[in-house]
Amino acid sequence: MEALKLTGVVKRFGDFTAVDDLSFAVAPGEVFGFLGGNGAGKTTSLRMVLDILRPDAGTISVMGRPPGRSASPDLGFLPEERGLYRSMTAIDTIVYFGRLKGMAAGTARRDGLALLDRFGLAGFARTSVEKLSKGMAQKVQLATAIVNTPKLLLLDEPFSGLDPVNQGLLEEVILSAAREGAAVVFSTHVMQHAERLCDRLLFLARGRKQFEGTQDEARAALPVQLTLTASRSPATLEGVAEAREIGAREDGWHDWDVRLDPGGDPGRLLELCTASGFPLRRFEQRRASMHDVFLHIVGGAETRP
Amino acid sequence: MIRHILLVAAREYRQIANTRSFWLTLLIIPLALAAGPLLSRFADKSHGETVMLVDQSGGQVGSAIRHRLEIDYQRQMMNALSHYVDRHDLRRAAPDALWVSKGRWYSDADVAAFIATGGQKAAIAQIARISKSDADAFEAPPREYRVVETPAAIAAAPRGAMDRVLAPLLRPADKSGHKPIDYVVLIPRDFGASPVARLWANGVPRASFVATLQSVLTSQLRTRYLLANGVAGPTAAAAASLAPAIGVTTPPEGSGRERVVIRSILPLISAYILLMSLVLSGSWMLQGAIEERSNKLIETVLACITPNELMYGKLVGTVGIGLSMIATWVICGLFAAFATHGAIADLIRPALEPVSTPGSIAAILFFFVAGYLMVSMIFLVIGVMSDSMREAQGFLTPVLLVIMLPVTLLVQAVLRDTGGPIIEALTWIPLYTPFAVLARLGAGIPTWEMLGSGATLLLFIVIEIVALGRIFRASLLSGGGRPSLAELARLVRRPG
Repeated sequence: MEALKLTGVVKRFGDFTAVDDLSFAVAPGEVFGFLGGNGAGKTTSLRMVLDILRPDAGTISVMGRPPGRSASPDLGFLPEERGLYRSMTAIDTIVYFGRLKGMAAGTARRDGLALLDRFGLAGFARTSVEKLSKGMAQKVQLATAIVNTPKLLLLDEPFSGLDPVNQGLLEEVILSAAREGAAVVFSTHVMQHAERLCDRLLFLARGRKQFEGTQDEARAALPVQLTLTASRSPATLEGVAEAREIGAREDGWHDWDVRLDPGGDPGRLLELCTASGFPLRRFEQRRASMHDVFLHIVGGAETRP
Repeated sequence: MIRHILLVAAREYRQIANTRSFWLTLLIIPLALAAGPLLSRFADKSHGETVMLVDQSGGQVGSAIRHRLEIDYQRQMMNALSHYVDRHDLRRAAPDALWVSKGRWYSDADVAAFIATGGQKAAIAQIARISKSDADAFEAPPREYRVVETPAAIAAAPRGAMDRVLAPLLRPADKSGHKPIDYVVLIPRDFGASPVARLWANGVPRASFVATLQSVLTSQLRTRYLLANGVAGPTAAAAASLAPAIGVTTPPEGSGRERVVIRSILPLISAYILLMSLVLSGSWMLQGAIEERSNKLIETVLACITPNELMYGKLVGTVGIGLSMIATWVICGLFAAFATHGAIADLIRPALEPVSTPGSIAAILFFFVAGYLMVSMIFLVIGVMSDSMREAQGFLTPVLLVIMLPVTLLVQAVLRDTGGPIIEALTWIPLYTPFAVLARLGAGIPTWEMLGSGATLLLFIVIEIVALGRIFRASLLSGGGRPSLAELARLVRRPG
């Protein structure tokens, strides 16, 4: 059973369609990246999963049930805009949200203290939030999201505003939650995090899904890029779409930036070079960054009219 | 759902109860209760005024003034004793004595008889025979006027020099450490032949003192006039003291016009307390709602509970705060009543009558809770529409004016017993129903009117929660900025 499944979900605000025919599914233990620029519909989609907003069309299934607060014991959520009750202590805040998610007070307190200890805040359990530093308060908020050991963890732009240390901590939390069987969905527009963490990705632009799949599948959507060092132009070779000289070496050798035809196989080109005696000193396939992949796939679709 | 509502309510309650302003407000009324008697005691002491009698006419007039002041003071003493024995149920100490008849007007003859039979000392001895501790606990009322000794130099000073010699007594130098004499009465040598007497006062004299003085001097003048015209002494004295015997009929204690005022005291206090605690706890809740919005907390909360659970939880928490404040104040009042040996209880016993039946208690509780729900809902929506207290003030000020002004007028109208259509109309306007019904409980409100206005109020609260609930839900995650009236109207008509 999928932890989360959206089928043909549509959400409109007046004449504006924020989410358009969105479908995807996330399995337990999977880290799923929900990628898109600002205004792509990520937050709206997550709010529908949380039942804060209702879709105009389509269906959503959370742990096999329609969205609703009855699912909150299995859910963890970290919103993009973060805040806590300033006058409450760190542990009381965690216990409060734990209890709102159906935990017993004692269990919430015990697990909350364990989390504070894990985050290096054991000595600040009884400190009011207003006296904590911003980084500490962010850790407390993360603790409120995971105190109930959720089966589905939803993180909306979780890395925004975090310092590098806390970013590392959050990455560790995400990976350990997935290892323990939780489905983790996080939205971001910072591709490096997605590249490091995600098993699968979904690119969203203007409310519509542009791509869903693994990172390799995403990269496969881009033409293969090679760097060759050859004494002749590879432009005439079969399967090469474009070859651009990017530098000259001594004795007549040159560096070339080569792009293959869509679906072109770099192995086939190497085989062809060898068979035809095409002189090569270097044959290097460049791995496209997720940033390039995103720009390639989403490209102009990002810009709303 | 109930669990979520109670969790939100408990958090709301704790948040407000942890603020300094809550505790300060909670203590204001008990402190006022405690300070009131102390201040009045202090004020009573400061009211004892000093009188110096300079009788150059032979001493008879001075003695008459002194006697009158003593008679008036002993009348006060008899009144105090009668209230005391009534409060402590000590009439059996002297069932036939005049000083156990509470509410009676004591004539000069009654007072003279009281003095002749031993006065306060004898009365206390009689009380001590049945209760030693009660006799010790009686406190004599403070004297209004204290006659001080007249220095010989002043007694013998010529009339023309009197202003000069009295000046240091009436206005002593700051460094002298002497308190000024409040009144100096000069009875000149030729008083009788001449009607002139003089009064120096250290400020505007009390009308009652001047009236007492005038009455004594008039009597003395008449006696002297009659004597001078050949009337025998006893006849002249009797003629001078002739006074009409006015038969005064008053309603029994605690009835008539007085009844309305006494019975309305507690209901009016209830209405005022409701208003005050509503405004205070509503403001605290509003601050909490603003904090949730400005601190971007709402989304985290709404991931766990529904907007309705959040709304009801906040309302329940605020009602809890309000009721706690009222319960504390009532407990302090009861404690004060005990601590003052029933003096306050004695005062409020007649006032308790209209609010001590089960029906009245149920009505008070219902209108308190209903009033809280109705007004708190308005505060809550204002809070959730505002990103800052400054922004909230724009909504809050007109709302407070609309609520408070008519309620103030209402309370004054009930106190003046001017009732009429305005009070009845306010009873049926849901925004004022709780205050109007509570304020009218003392003067009496027909059962059908109470039930009808209560049902109307209940219906209004349901409609209010549905309509304002739509604004609440729509405003929770809105991007900020004050919605226009048209926008609010649209939200009320149509769920967001």
